[in-house]
Amino acid sequence: MRRGAAVAVAMGAASLPALLCGLPPQPASHVVHQQTQAVSVIFTAAPMYESLAALHGDERFPQGAQLMVLRDGRTQALVPELAASADASVSFDAKSVLFAGKKHASDPWGIWEVSAQGGAPRLVLAGATDLIRPLWMPQGRMVYARRGPGGFALESAALDGSGALKLSYLPGNFVPDDVLRDGRVLFESGFPLGAGAPPEMFLVYADGSGVESVRCDHGAGSANQGREHGRQMSLDSKAAGAGDIVFAQGGRLARFTSALAAEASIAAPAGEYAGDVTEMPDGHWLLAVRGSGRKRFALAAWKPGAGPVAIVAQDVSRDLIEPVVVAPRAVPNRHPSGLHDWAFGNLLALDARQSRSGALSGVPASVRAETLGTDGRVLSLGTAPVEKDGSFFVQATGDRPLRFILLDAEGKTLRQEQGWFWVRRGEQRICVGCHTGPERAPENRVPQVLLRTTMPADMTGGPASAAMGGGH
Amino acid sequence: MRRRLVMAAVCAAVVSMAALWQPELAWVAAQPSASAEERYASPLEVLLSPDGARLYVLCQGTDEVRVLNAATGRVLRTIAVGHLPRGFSLSPDGGRLFVANSWDDTVTVIDTESGRVKATWAAGFEPSSVVEDRAGKLLYVADRIGNNIAVLDAVTGEEKTTLAAGRGASYLAMSADGSRLYATHVYPNPSSRQEGNRTPPQSEITIIDPVRARVVDRMMLPDIAGVFHLALSRDGRLGMVAQVHPKNLVPLAHVEHGWAFADTLTVFGADVGRKSVEVPLDELDRYYAMPFGVAIAPDKSRIYVTHGGSDCVTVIDTKKLLAYIHAHPEPFAENLAASANYVVARIAVGKNPRGLVLSRDGARLYVANRLDDTISVISTRAMSVVQTTRLAGPEKVSALRRGEQTFYTAKYAFQGQFGCSNCHIDSTFDGLRWDLEPDGFGKDIVDNRLIEDLVGTEPFKWNGGNPTLGMECGPRTEKYFYRSQSFDDRTLVDLVTYIRSLPSRPNRFRAANGELTPAQDRGRVIFNRTVDKLGQAIPEGNRCAYCHSGPKGTSQRSFDVGTGKTVDNSSLFDTPQLMSVALTAPYLHDGSAKSLEEIWTVYNPHDRHGRTNDLTKDELNDLVEYLRTR
Repeated sequence: MRRGAAVAVAMGAASLPALLCGLPPQPASHVVHQQTQAVSVIFTAAPMYESLAALHGDERFPQGAQLMVLRDGRTQALVPELAASADASVSFDAKSVLFAGKKHASDPWGIWEVSAQGGAPRLVLAGATDLIRPLWMPQGRMVYARRGPGGFALESAALDGSGALKLSYLPGNFVPDDVLRDGRVLFESGFPLGAGAPPEMFLVYADGSGVESVRCDHGAGSANQGREHGRQMSLDSKAAGAGDIVFAQGGRLARFTSALAAEASIAAPAGEYAGDVTEMPDGHWLLAVRGSGRKRFALAAWKPGAGPVAIVAQDVSRDLIEPVVVAPRAVPNRHPSGLHDWAFGNLLALDARQSRSGALSGVPASVRAETLGTDGRVLSLGTAPVEKDGSFFVQATGDRPLRFILLDAEGKTLRQEQGWFWVRRGEQRICVGCHTGPERAPENRVPQVLLRTTMPADMTGGPASAAMGGGH
Repeated sequence: MRRRLVMAAVCAAVVSMAALWQPELAWVAAQPSASAEERYASPLEVLLSPDGARLYVLCQGTDEVRVLNAATGRVLRTIAVGHLPRGFSLSPDGGRLFVANSWDDTVTVIDTESGRVKATWAAGFEPSSVVEDRAGKLLYVADRIGNNIAVLDAVTGEEKTTLAAGRGASYLAMSADGSRLYATHVYPNPSSRQEGNRTPPQSEITIIDPVRARVVDRMMLPDIAGVFHLALSRDGRLGMVAQVHPKNLVPLAHVEHGWAFADTLTVFGADVGRKSVEVPLDELDRYYAMPFGVAIAPDKSRIYVTHGGSDCVTVIDTKKLLAYIHAHPEPFAENLAASANYVVARIAVGKNPRGLVLSRDGARLYVANRLDDTISVISTRAMSVVQTTRLAGPEKVSALRRGEQTFYTAKYAFQGQFGCSNCHIDSTFDGLRWDLEPDGFGKDIVDNRLIEDLVGTEPFKWNGGNPTLGMECGPRTEKYFYRSQSFDDRTLVDLVTYIRSLPSRPNRFRAANGELTPAQDRGRVIFNRTVDKLGQAIPEGNRCAYCHSGPKGTSQRSFDVGTGKTVDNSSLFDTPQLMSVALTAPYLHDGSAKSLEEIWTVYNPHDRHGRTNDLTKDELNDLVEYLRTR
């Protein structure tokens, strides 16, 4: 979504009385939506908002940003003592807020914590580079994006900043959007992963394993304008659509829902939406939207499937975005990491011939694995045979970029992965085929490669540094 | 008194602390009282009288049939039946109610007018379902352990014949016109030795001519292990079974994308247009575990399926389903997005929903929620629960009950894909070999084991790696099976309490007075012998009774008996217990022996698994006969 994009259709509720907020904080003139009287809402107010900037390694708030809290019909700055603040994430018990902040405007973004009731903020984690989009995880940890030489990387750490764990292992920019109820981190990056530009949403377990696209209908729906700022709707697990991931797609709202392999549109009132939709306890959604002729995102409440949006807060000089509700919510499941103490990962493909991309032009005879050198050059890790049933079993160095190329008997490329992925050290992973999509479950059969050998082909680019072990 | 209370509080605290470390310790304090008053009703199946006025509820936990006013839920009558009833049905005229009592091997015949038991008939091994033919002449009983259908005279109860059915024969359904009887089974049929132990499971629907008492067809269900209820449309053009499709041949490296189980229906009949089609019920991110009961609306517009692991009922639009089937001639069982094309609702009900029945007009659907003792009444028009009837029973949910609920729910696995009961069907086993991930892909293939009467059989796992059930069911299950945050300490204690409480089922091969038949006694002598037929002393470690010692037939130690394979990380295996060993084929750690006999005739060429090569076939048969009494 680009800043300043024109909105052709008027918002249904744009004419409703609005809550104004500006710099410096001003008292509310009127609270429009009942729900905002019952719960506090924290949001980011920014004179300039470049929603996709982080995916290019740039600054989303080039003119600064400030977290505001809407409570009891009044708005005020949440942490006025800081020069900049954004990206609020409310703890599961609703008592505390993590956010990205700067004490001085020239500082890099750091991660701060403040009581949901306000008060003095505490610096949780700072570095020489930006740390943005912190999100609460189970077990007293958080996930965020850290700017590095290759872009923003996903990282998690304890709330005292210790125990940092990198979750992404590709060059590129990876920005967390949400922590799903099942414990996985929802993040956005360019598609194809590690190689592309349009924003897409991906998932990874809390230990960095199992990275994959949420869905594989890339580019479907709206001229490939990309998906951004997704969040899981899950406050009421029995509500219709519970667990859906709602996101912005070219300024409109769409969702991934459990039953479908492709995104589903959301029949929301006309307007341009910024994503980061949050859910209020009564099921209304709180969203950032701008209507026809308006340059600024306002906050609005909307009951899915019912009527127009109702403006909750707007500001003539700032975009109001990234709303979060200060309310308790379920703690996501902890991920019991099953990573082994190995330097490599094992990868098994059940049938590499299968793909959403259609039938292969020839019979695959081997598979070549490639990685990226530190200088960005593509390096071959070797080849391994592909069995007649399309299966192969390889061992690859962990925590490195990885992709596979299927070759025919003459060594010609039959299919090549568009992007990159990684396998964590000690991870064992299986795919049904090459890009079959998450809707494809495996057939129940022993892949031929395992009938021939239980030893994976070595594609580590050198001797593996740890012996296999384990047991359970 | 006060002192006693203080002591109780101290004990409770100690138990609670201990539970964190050792669920077995907590179990001692959590042992439930066995008094009948505290038994939970555990409704398993429901039926409606022909006029729709009475709802019959089969209460497995209290060994009763409770007769309820179908409109109000008020109890009209309670009828005691045999032990652990598993299935029941009405005679075509509604005058008699037949109950299959699984653990005392009987069928109870009840006069529905008087509510009195008119007869109790012997009916094979572990009767699980019973249906009378249209003429009222023959009574068909599915016997789970017998793996057959016993055919009784419907008037006298005399057994006329038996029909071979699938392994674990359990559920019967008669076509509306009475011309065909369909039988399903809960364990996969055994594969042949030539097929090996790494082939997909297969089940069947046994189709019987109920007039002639003959099997007329066997509809194969490839890839299926665990088949439950079957339903047929009134016009006879559509039939379906609720079933589980395991993924036991693929290494269980993760759970997402349907990696462990698929929950499906097999749909067949003239409406389908081909022999049969497997229809998935799951979604990409959410699973509907253990489909059990299935019902088709009288007008065939809707199909209802209970999910014992997911506490809900799936509603399918039949027209949409058939349209999807006709538009997709290729198999689509692996497509997790398919269900969006025909599933129109998922209705939350109570815990562990099992049997269900539709009112004659199809307006109301009654669902038996086994593990919270309720009946959900669903308005099929509104597609929501409009009434929940709670059956009388203990108010308090005991540790044992909580453990049982934990055992049967799928909510702890990643995305709710499966629960303990997926692999331990009705708290037994699944007859499958699994490739678990941590040992490596394609390595250490392990046969699933029965979990009855486990106390005194520790350690667990084939490599003996887990010394307690707490370890077996706790961190191991969380990390390598469920792949998601699972049980807290109390829940784990409850679960272990439940598993430890599971008794051995009655042994059908041993006389009630404990006496052995001559063949069994000869086998006992062989089992305990110390000298072979050549007069040579058998080394201690090569005697059956040495490793398989003690009352449960295990020394609780590991041995190398020469059965290791090249894909095994170790050839040392925990000595399996022998209780109910006759029921748990295949054998050996990886299920490579299809029968007890094969253990010695195929997999013991060098007498490392006991001295047996001096025995004749008859003597091996005697040994098998003895083992069947364990």
